[in-house]
Amino acid sequence: MSNNMIKKAGGFEILNHWVLAISFFILAISGFGFLFHLEQVGSAFGGFNQMRDIHNWSGVVFAVSLFLTMFKYLTVALNFSADDMAWLGKAGGYFSKKAQMPPQDELNAGQKLLYIVVLLLGIAISVTGVIMWLRPEMADVNKWVLFSFLVHNIASDIFVIAIPIHIYLATLANPGTLRIMISGTVPVEWARKRHAKWVQKLGY
Amino acid sequence: MGRMSILVSPELCIGCRGCQTACKEWNQLSGVKTENRGSTENPPDLTPNTFNKIRYVELPSETNMVRWLFVSQRCMHCGDAGCMKICPAPGALFRTDEGAVAFDKDKCVGCKLCVTSCPFNVPRYDEKNKISKCHLCAERIANRLEPACTKTCPTGALRFGERDALLGLAQKAGYAKVYGQADLEGLGAMYAFMDAPKIYGMNENPAIPESVVFWDNVLRPLAYLGLAGAVAASLVHYVAFGPKKIEEGKKDE
Amino acid sequence: MTNHWIDVRNADVILVMGGNPAENHPISMKWIAKAKEQGAKLIVVDPRFTRTAAKADIYAPLRSGTDIAFLGGMIKYIIENKLYFREYVANYTNASFLVNPEFKGPGELNGVFSGYDNKGRKYDKKTWAYQLDENGLPKKDLSLKDPNCVFQLLKKHYSRYDIDKVSSITGTPAEKLKEIYDVYGSTGKPDRVGTELYAMGWTQHTVGTQNIRTMAIIQLLLGNMGMAGGGVNALRGESNVQGSTDHGILFHILPGYLPTPKAVWTDLKTYIEKNTPQTKDTRSVNWWSNRGKYITSYLKAVYGNNATKDNDFAYAWLPKLDEGMNCSWLVLFDQMLKDKFEGFFAWGQNPACSGANAGKVRKALARLKWMVNVNLFDNETGSFWKGPGMKTEEIQTEVFQLPAASSVEKEGSITNSGRLAQWRTRAIAPVGESMPDSEIMNELYFRVRKLYKDKGGKFPAPVMNLDWNYGEKDASGKVAKFDIHQVAKEINGYYLEDVYDKKTDPPTLLGKKGDLCASFVHLQADGTTSSGNWLYSQSYTQKEGKIINMMARRGKDDPTGLGMYPGWAWCWPVNRHVLYNRASVDLNGNPWNPQRAVIKWNALKEDPKTKKLGGWEGDVPDGPAPPMADEKTGKYPFIMRAEGVGLIYGPGLADGPFPEHYEALECPLQENPMQPQHRINPTIKLFYGVEGPHQKPAAEGGSLEDIFASCDIRFPFVATTYRVSEHWQTGVLTRHLPWQLEMSPEQFVELSEELAEDLKIKNGDKVIVSSARGRVRAVAMVTRRFKPFKVMDSTVHQVGLPWHFGWQFPEDGSAGDSANLLTPTIGDANTMIPETKAFLVNIEKV
Repeated sequence: MSNNMIKKAGGFEILNHWVLAISFFILAISGFGFLFHLEQVGSAFGGFNQMRDIHNWSGVVFAVSLFLTMFKYLTVALNFSADDMAWLGKAGGYFSKKAQMPPQDELNAGQKLLYIVVLLLGIAISVTGVIMWLRPEMADVNKWVLFSFLVHNIASDIFVIAIPIHIYLATLANPGTLRIMISGTVPVEWARKRHAKWVQKLGY
Repeated sequence: MGRMSILVSPELCIGCRGCQTACKEWNQLSGVKTENRGSTENPPDLTPNTFNKIRYVELPSETNMVRWLFVSQRCMHCGDAGCMKICPAPGALFRTDEGAVAFDKDKCVGCKLCVTSCPFNVPRYDEKNKISKCHLCAERIANRLEPACTKTCPTGALRFGERDALLGLAQKAGYAKVYGQADLEGLGAMYAFMDAPKIYGMNENPAIPESVVFWDNVLRPLAYLGLAGAVAASLVHYVAFGPKKIEEGKKDE
Repeated sequence: MTNHWIDVRNADVILVMGGNPAENHPISMKWIAKAKEQGAKLIVVDPRFTRTAAKADIYAPLRSGTDIAFLGGMIKYIIENKLYFREYVANYTNASFLVNPEFKGPGELNGVFSGYDNKGRKYDKKTWAYQLDENGLPKKDLSLKDPNCVFQLLKKHYSRYDIDKVSSITGTPAEKLKEIYDVYGSTGKPDRVGTELYAMGWTQHTVGTQNIRTMAIIQLLLGNMGMAGGGVNALRGESNVQGSTDHGILFHILPGYLPTPKAVWTDLKTYIEKNTPQTKDTRSVNWWSNRGKYITSYLKAVYGNNATKDNDFAYAWLPKLDEGMNCSWLVLFDQMLKDKFEGFFAWGQNPACSGANAGKVRKALARLKWMVNVNLFDNETGSFWKGPGMKTEEIQTEVFQLPAASSVEKEGSITNSGRLAQWRTRAIAPVGESMPDSEIMNELYFRVRKLYKDKGGKFPAPVMNLDWNYGEKDASGKVAKFDIHQVAKEINGYYLEDVYDKKTDPPTLLGKKGDLCASFVHLQADGTTSSGNWLYSQSYTQKEGKIINMMARRGKDDPTGLGMYPGWAWCWPVNRHVLYNRASVDLNGNPWNPQRAVIKWNALKEDPKTKKLGGWEGDVPDGPAPPMADEKTGKYPFIMRAEGVGLIYGPGLADGPFPEHYEALECPLQENPMQPQHRINPTIKLFYGVEGPHQKPAAEGGSLEDIFASCDIRFPFVATTYRVSEHWQTGVLTRHLPWQLEMSPEQFVELSEELAEDLKIKNGDKVIVSSARGRVRAVAMVTRRFKPFKVMDSTVHQVGLPWHFGWQFPEDGSAGDSANLLTPTIGDANTMIPETKAFLVNIEKV
């Protein structure tokens, strides 16, 4: 590792994010197939019956993958400081050409927020998915399934709004960010601008 | 041909259950082991092998020791069908030219959402986890035959015909309001009731669950709009603000 | 049926009593529904609130076995309120006939009619006769006022059946009785008509025949016989039971209701003499005066060329009954138990479940050397030797099972309740080794014949001389391919010679030798015609050389608009759809009700043959004679009676000319509420048990199987048996159908909520129903459809259970066993039909 590079993500973390991302795409695309009866999508998955299995099992992968993220990100994300609030107050500086941003942790406030949202939605969508899938023996199972169906769809609606923005912010809006998902390292200076507190903590 | 329907007249029904057997015969549905639970009614509920059945309702009566009603229970072939609305698999549930809500087991994905969305608790699932319910004898009616149940009914308690004609018939017979006349954009199985529907064990105002309607009207379009909106907003942002630049003067490596 | 199924739609009031058409004859409800649509009222009287009751405008409960009291009250009500159709009653019934002044009724003689022989348990009917005038004709009083006229006797007899009395016997609330009497009585007007539908609920009683007689009286009083929408209509419980009765399935009749010969009638002449009613009244058609033609033609059909004038048309070969010999169902099994039989053919039946006192039947089967069980499936009869309680190792009976083809696997005719004989074609070939009954009989016949031929035997002539030409024969003379059409043609009959009408001058040719007979009107007593059943003559006939199977016709025209469809199949007699239809018109031949004219006299109609003016239009009339007003040639309407009129007073029956209420053999009452002397029908044949009422020690013939328990604290509840829509008879066909079994899987007993509370039984509990003769496991169906009866100031509970189940199938025994294990060996005084509709039981929780 070059001296002016800094490790932002480990190999497992990188792998897990790809797993999460790919399972999400499978879920979202098949989900759209179901929602809007997209025949081509169905055939691409080998028919709707198979698509249903793939959707369900991708959900399991997604849920496990999401669970694994918690070991690293949960504590970071829940640690909200005054700087984070200030960052959020300036909307991350995305609507200003020259913003002076408060120093940020390993994750900036937007990323923390996104993580919490994704985690909560992920839990909701996974649990409701399992209820609809397995229809556990219980009183009023239909009501529970119906409720799950509603929550599942609300969550997926938020997901399909949040994730494109997440992708945009991690690519076009912030060139160089995607590196974290590939090599896991970023230049120290790049990191200092964005995650000053973290870089400082690491002693650079 | 207009929309075809069944008109159920419990006042004419004698509870002989010829319809129940005829249905099983035509659709080759197996009989299952049951036990007498102290009632004439059997099987106790619709099953994947029981598309229609007679419910035996005993009520107090002013003139006799009991009032005994026989009510045919079956898929109502709703004009606005909750099952079709919620079904995620194209072609699994479909409306025939005659207006029946039929199904294609090959296309059914076995998700059972239709069960939750049906206002009448009708769809059932077979051992292969595929939908199983009355389809108004879709192949028969497509070939200008009437369904097996109405064909068998000796008294006219089950009648099959053009929906408008049946409505006229019921009105002529003095039934001011026909159950299912307007509910759910008109049911494909209408009931000529003498009394309030609840006497016969039916919902006064059958409706698709509100959450399903909300989902259909709001959440489903929102999925498209939300996705499109998020992508569009990103593009607009990119054009308007471009990539993020932090602390001018300092360069990225 | 005097009328027919579709005709029910023509009624203004439909009384269903002694039947349950919605469950046992569901298709009939189509016509009931049609009648109701046109404003008819449906009255249902039944101990239980049945599926038919659920459709009724008026429902009334009555305790099983009290129908005569119920209807007797109606007769009183009709007379008192002058609801009867006076003109009809005076002219078309024997109401005006004067009866022997010595005749006394049960009101005067403590429960019996005059002439009762206490020891012989039968009547000397001498005092029941009509008074005759100097010409030998019955004396009449058309004013109906003579104290000895039938009408006055009727009035006197039923004066004892006032509403309160009836209510205390039947348990029917008095106001319900009045309501029903009023509504049904309203059909006494010429333009209103009522019909009665009954089945086994009336027949299966010790007073079964009289139940129906009571209704016949009411229908005659109200002028409902012969009318469209009227009649007394037996709903037959099997698609072809009418046909089998027509063809002599009962022991006392040959095909066509010709009495079975008795040993004392030693020759044909005596037989004809004894069975041909006489009348001196030239205006009475007295149709049975043709008896000689019918029996002779029957003998010609059976024995063909072997029946000749010289051998008395083979009359000697017909089986004969010894005096007093009774071969009814109950007696057969009674005798079987007493080792009077070696072998038994159980053909298309399941007596081990269907027979009253089935436990006795099963024991009787074990006394046989051999039994042949001809059926679609094995059943409780074929497998009786491995049934519950059987000591298999001690049973010597050899059982042969012959698989029979089902009704859709063979061709032939069936005759429904409306006497309509319809030809059915074969739908599929018989399954496996099964054969149509006719082919099984063909095989049997030629084998039995060969045995007689090879080994001889007693009295071979009746078998060896049978005319058996039912298809092509092989070299050995055996019919190789059985042709059921040949049977149908033989039943219709042939002209065996050129037959002439000798009344015309010169005689005109009626039919050519070898042709199928045109109708029974052409049958002869001289052996020149044959007919296996005169009633069916015209069913398979010939017109201008062309052979026509009338039963296979499918014409859909209904010229009268009354639903008779004369071109559809064919009904006996001579396609007459409403029996006694000459009573539907007034003396001048004008319909009582022109809106529903069954027939009508048209004075201007020209007979195409004779060119004479005047003829009937509409249904085939009861004879072509002009209406009664024509004093020269006019005829009385009831042509089957020597009197020519309907019998309000019926001096022919065993138990009295007027029906009288007697309790069932097993009843909860100590005494008959009508009088204390005769609790039960005094003329029924008794079977003696070793205990209970009319007991005898075993040494004197008392039987362990025939135990009765009347007014017995051990068996306090009235029970009745019945059928449900979902099963058929003993269930041999339906229990093997999973669809049917699924709907009604096992034996149940229906009981009231009140009784269930007393017995601490909950709905769905398993219980044991027991009688003095047997026990049955059942599921308790606690229901509001039964209510306790208030009878003679005490509470009587009634329960009911179906008889469709048996131990043999389903194989796990889950269906339970036959309700007939409970029913008694006792029969009606006239027909010996078992009393399975009213007996006593107990119920205990398992």
